[in-house]
Amino acid sequence: MAAGATAGCLGALLGIGGGVFLVPFLNLVVGLPFLSAAGISLMTVIATSSAVSARTAGRQLINLRLGMVLEIATSAGGLAGGITVARLSDRALHVLFAVATAGVSGIMLTRLDRRNVILDRAVDPGPLGGRYFEAESGGDVTYRVRRLPVALFASFLAGSLSSLLGIGGGILKVPVLNAWCGVPMRAAAATSAFMIGVTAVAAAPIYYARGNIVPELAAAAVLGVLAGSRAGFRIGEGVRARGLKLLMALVLAGVSLSYLLR
Amino acid sequence: MTAARDDQLARLEHLLGRLLVGGVAVSAVCLAAGLAASMAAWPASDSILDVGLGVLMATPILRVVVSLVEYARQRDRVFTAATLAVLLVLGGTLYAAWRAVH
Repeated sequence: MAAGATAGCLGALLGIGGGVFLVPFLNLVVGLPFLSAAGISLMTVIATSSAVSARTAGRQLINLRLGMVLEIATSAGGLAGGITVARLSDRALHVLFAVATAGVSGIMLTRLDRRNVILDRAVDPGPLGGRYFEAESGGDVTYRVRRLPVALFASFLAGSLSSLLGIGGGILKVPVLNAWCGVPMRAAAATSAFMIGVTAVAAAPIYYARGNIVPELAAAAVLGVLAGSRAGFRIGEGVRARGLKLLMALVLAGVSLSYLLR
Repeated sequence: MTAARDDQLARLEHLLGRLLVGGVAVSAVCLAAGLAASMAAWPASDSILDVGLGVLMATPILRVVVSLVEYARQRDRVFTAATLAVLLVLGGTLYAAWRAVH
């Protein structure tokens, strides 16, 4: 349960599901088979996603339209992964994941100080952009979305990885949204947090039907995550965008290492 | 024009937010109850836990359904189509899950 709380805390801070911590913990420390760890983690992803996005709702941080469009790709990837996961070797998945997170971490680190916000209110965000109030910039910020095809492809990948590994996939979505698609960090985090719930539910029922999920452990993990995300959300209010990006990059690097070393 | 759209977006967000909170709350209560029942070795604990997990999984699905209805009401063709596409994929998931059991 404590693991769930930590995962939930970090998840709420970074806009990811926290599954990247929970899966290794359940798999390596508790000793659950990988599929069980992944299945339970997917449940917690749904919980984190629902809890976090319930709280960010109403401030227009969640780009609902962009999220929904990308979700077509993500959930398709999630479904594909959910079906094929039982047939893939653990080692292959681990290496793939380690490489992906290392790459994204690198991208984030090189773009720490790039700002994606346009401060002129009169700028039209376009059909997929958004506008919200950010205390840090001292007013409403507007942004446009760029490179949608890239985002869609990455979303499909993220969705597949999500269901194969039991993570939210936000770990790829947030940097992609932020670094490649011009979405500011907070909006990217909020949109991703919203999306991962849908992505997780594109695969969770399949895990559930296959009997991969131990109900008591899943319940404990979910409750832990919900408690943790309350704490994480409160901490996140005062953190600056650059700090969020740095934290995210460091987290990714750590995760990558831990899977390479397995 | 954008102001009106912003308003509609805000309203939808609020609705979704409340739905999410409700779903999570119900699920959490069920899971907590189920966990307690399990520790007390009640035979019903399995069913309670299953309901909790079921509600948890239903929440994002309902989220998508609500978005679909709202976009349809606003006659927003592109995003109605997008939401419908997502719902179709989720339908595929539920079908695959059903197949895994039967």
